[in-house]
Amino acid sequence: MSGPTTQPAVALGGNPPPEGGHGRCFDECFSEPATARPYRQALFDSLDRLGREGLAARAENARRMLKELGVTCFVHNERAGIDEPWQLDLLPLVIGSEEWRELEAGLIQRAALLNLVLGDLYGKQRLVRDGFVPAPLVFANPAYLRPCQALAARNNTFLLTYSADLARTADGRWWVMADRTQAPVGFGFAMQNRAVLSRVIPEVMRDLQPRPVLDSLRVRRDALKHFSPGHTDNPVIALLTPGPRNEAYFEHAYLSRLLGLTLVEGDDLTVRDRRLWVKTLNGLRRVDVVLRRVSDAFCDPLELRGDSLLGVPGLLEAARAGNVCIGNAVGTGLLESPAFMPFLPGLCRHLLGEDLRLPSPATWWCGQTREHTYVREHLRELVIRAAFPPNGPASTPAALDTAGESALVERIRQSPHEFIGQEQVRLSCAPVLTGHEIDSKPFVLRVFVLHNGDEFVVVPGGLVRVLETGGDGLPPIPLIGLSKDVWVMPEGAGTSPLPHAGSAPLPHIEGASSDVPSRAADNLFWLGRYTERLEEIVRSARYALGCVGEDTDASSQSRLGPLQGILGRLGLVAAPENAVNRISLIQDLLSLVYDEEPAEGVRDLLQRIHLAAFSVRDRLSTDTWHLLNRLKTHAQPRPGGLPLVGTSGTLHALVLDLAAFSGMEMENMTRGHGWVFLDMGRRIERAIFIARLMEAVGRSGRCLDWVVEPALEIADSVMTHRRRYFTEPRLSSVMEVLVEDASNPRSLAFQVACLKEHAALLPTGQNPDGVGALRVLVGQIDDCLGRFSRAGTGDASTAAELLPSTCEEIAGRLAALSESLTEVYFSHISSRVS
Amino acid sequence: MKAQLFQLTHATTYHYQSPVTVSHHVLRVTPRRLPRQFRLEHRIDTLPVPATLSHRTDYYGNEVAFITIEGAHRQFTVTSQARVAVGPAFIPEPAETPAWEIVRGLCGYDRSSAVLEATEFTFASPSVPLDPVFADYASASFVPGRCILEAALDLTARIHTDFTFDAAATHVATPVLEVLGNRRGVCQDFAHFALACLRSLGLPARYVSGYLETIPPPGQPRLAGADASHAWVSLFCPGIGWIDLDPTNNCLPSMRHITTAWGRDYTDVSPIRGVLIGSGDHTLSVAVDVIPLGVTEIPQRAEPS
Repeated sequence: MSGPTTQPAVALGGNPPPEGGHGRCFDECFSEPATARPYRQALFDSLDRLGREGLAARAENARRMLKELGVTCFVHNERAGIDEPWQLDLLPLVIGSEEWRELEAGLIQRAALLNLVLGDLYGKQRLVRDGFVPAPLVFANPAYLRPCQALAARNNTFLLTYSADLARTADGRWWVMADRTQAPVGFGFAMQNRAVLSRVIPEVMRDLQPRPVLDSLRVRRDALKHFSPGHTDNPVIALLTPGPRNEAYFEHAYLSRLLGLTLVEGDDLTVRDRRLWVKTLNGLRRVDVVLRRVSDAFCDPLELRGDSLLGVPGLLEAARAGNVCIGNAVGTGLLESPAFMPFLPGLCRHLLGEDLRLPSPATWWCGQTREHTYVREHLRELVIRAAFPPNGPASTPAALDTAGESALVERIRQSPHEFIGQEQVRLSCAPVLTGHEIDSKPFVLRVFVLHNGDEFVVVPGGLVRVLETGGDGLPPIPLIGLSKDVWVMPEGAGTSPLPHAGSAPLPHIEGASSDVPSRAADNLFWLGRYTERLEEIVRSARYALGCVGEDTDASSQSRLGPLQGILGRLGLVAAPENAVNRISLIQDLLSLVYDEEPAEGVRDLLQRIHLAAFSVRDRLSTDTWHLLNRLKTHAQPRPGGLPLVGTSGTLHALVLDLAAFSGMEMENMTRGHGWVFLDMGRRIERAIFIARLMEAVGRSGRCLDWVVEPALEIADSVMTHRRRYFTEPRLSSVMEVLVEDASNPRSLAFQVACLKEHAALLPTGQNPDGVGALRVLVGQIDDCLGRFSRAGTGDASTAAELLPSTCEEIAGRLAALSESLTEVYFSHISSRVS
Repeated sequence: MKAQLFQLTHATTYHYQSPVTVSHHVLRVTPRRLPRQFRLEHRIDTLPVPATLSHRTDYYGNEVAFITIEGAHRQFTVTSQARVAVGPAFIPEPAETPAWEIVRGLCGYDRSSAVLEATEFTFASPSVPLDPVFADYASASFVPGRCILEAALDLTARIHTDFTFDAAATHVATPVLEVLGNRRGVCQDFAHFALACLRSLGLPARYVSGYLETIPPPGQPRLAGADASHAWVSLFCPGIGWIDLDPTNNCLPSMRHITTAWGRDYTDVSPIRGVLIGSGDHTLSVAVDVIPLGVTEIPQRAEPS
């Protein structure tokens, strides 16, 4: 697109935008080729001071920070989907204060207008009767949800959030390309972008002093409280997400954490007595306000689309009874139909008595005879779009052949009200940093208007999405791709610099819910189990690879046989047949680490850990999330060169990161119910592993002497043993260290003691009998261990005899404990439509 | 006005394979009050007893009951009982009704409330897509300039002749294009097909759900629970109002049809829709009785339909 800059000393010489075939578009930076617009000069001067290398280093910082923060966008692909890293350009879009003032007024007017139109269309429909809105725009529109008719919004506020996609056209004005009225995406990503830039280029931010945006989080939180139906001073506010497979799930978790909202999926909520409740470990807790990210049609399978269970059955009835406020009101997606655009100027004059401030591309709705004729006659100059959602991609008749064109004309003729023709827009370009160069690329600006309880206010910033290769700026614009922060210049720029403007901390928001939804507890429990299981596998594999690496001569292979036997009993490698086979052992171990195939191999577990953690990421600290993200990068494919060397490096790194994760969890997590479940998962998993390991040791017969040391190694208790016994490990000493020693955090006794403590803390909730049975089960495990200790005291041979059966029994009861926990606390059985 | 009095019972039972902890149901089983339909009594009973039972009218003025059952249950029975008197329908002389093109032309221009309300029923709806194949089928009846009711009666008669009533051929979600292909179905399919024909021509037509008194074969007694809920269509004719047409029975509904609800298609008015929380499958049994209790006199009401 552009060649290298001709000014080597200046990082930001910049290139003029390309000449387009249809004349020039507006350029954000250059009024004449290579002449920066005056209000952008400050930005360039400031960036120039960083120097070319400095700028590239900052860009790399930003990229790494986003990766470590785990800012992602879920992208569906043909297999299942993948979390793509969020991309942020270092160069913000700068908007002058005067220009912003105008834009702000236009956006507030538009939000107010759309809110009034919604109130009428979901109310008395005078606008239809009086001819301001043609009947088909409503009645033929699949986004018009009849069950929501007369479902009054609290304080007549249908839009808690309104968002517009803006494009700047050749005349330099901002045009509204699309109205987002149901559950606009991007506010959280915009906040995150600002937080990252304020750390990556603080000096530039100090130089320009953009208006702060993070205060908007407080506005949002206060407004949500304001909309509570008011039975309590401390309302429970839930963010309803479609789940981790939604492209914007990161944002849902991020906003929940920052705003102190309870992040829920449809299954976490239930309607009883025409009220909305969240299922927590403590039983049902009333929900007052729902900030929803589930689309209109999926909000209530009972009254809306029954083929999806992302929503909550009975939600509309609860709203109808006035017991819950849903923002935005269900049904508000109606105004996302682009067919409304040509009617907004008339509606604005009629409802507000003023002219519409923000223009849109000229739009002709084919449901009107004259407009239909115009579209047919000017087809090749226009873009043709579906009038109603879901709005697929637009078609550009100019790009069609004759057959395609006449097919389109015929489709329009058959149901004209389903189509609009729209003027083609050339988007303005903004500078984008690629490597050491500056490119110029078209973009769309998304801005956010929040209702603060009294009025609409505009967030002084936004989210820019850069379009590759000259997109038309029409929806759907994918979330994935390069983004930019938006800096709005303060009024009367050049006043005294703000202290620490560069690194403004996020506002602290109090009142995060301590209630743990059952689903979150379920995921935390499995996060504990999977991370522990991964550690076991990694330790076992690391030790075994060490052994096969050292032992090459036939004589020392006598060690490998028993080792393979133990690992075989633990299900980690294939059990040895007759003689030990070093090659197959190595292959099994490498496969355990690198292949996707073995269920519960390293890569599979990393995937499971990621999924469990992703589902509760609103409850994990940023640092914990960093670590979990780093873990994921270890799941690289099998290295080429020296597999054994590379593998032990991978395994060392995994052991260290897993240790860091458990340290983080021990030191940083509040000891609430969430932690109890995470730790119970870890303890149960470790106890099962030790029990099965010792069972394998006990059953190894004549190889006994060869397996006690590996057992100590795998269970990470070599040091403990050495401190206590100054001899070579024997079965009796190993049994003491790994089974009975309650002071060894790796012993069975230690795990059981922890489980007893946790069991006492379990919430009784609504199922006291079930919880009672759980405690009994833990007691039985404890008894079993006690009997073993008493029987074996001073009698090594009895202990050795009892070891396998005792361990087998304990492992079985632990598995039963895990199942009972699931049944008592996590059985969020899904709903079905009948 | 002379009216036929009916005792109506509609019992639906769900048997769940495993216990259900919570279930929500939306019911549209209450006969509407209409100028020629008099509702003397109506009640809804459920077993288990509901934790929540609330009533409202929906977008189309149909009466809706919202029911929540809480606590583990393996069976759910809901019984709707009503006593209804139905007077004769006013049926205009077909040859005196306006040409069908006039009706089509009116929708979309006239914003008087009756026509505007009817215009809503000219568009595609979830179960009734519009397609030139439906317009093609209908055009044999709707020849240019023909009086709308004459044409509509001809269409109803053709559907009755061309299509076979076959309860095994379709299920509640069979697409209407498939019904056209197989030429088989039940009342719901015939109604959807008739609507697709009428709307593909640009005419306003709505789906009506209700009950039909069945007459046992000569010499045989009426079997209890043998009746069924029924569906037909209603066509808007400016200056006259809505005229019911029953394509399944090729007749103009009058004193044997009890109207419960109307909407764009079945999805707007299904008698029972529920969401349950629990696992396992369920089976459903339905018993309907429409028992005639003789002719009675009802006062004429002025409320518009």
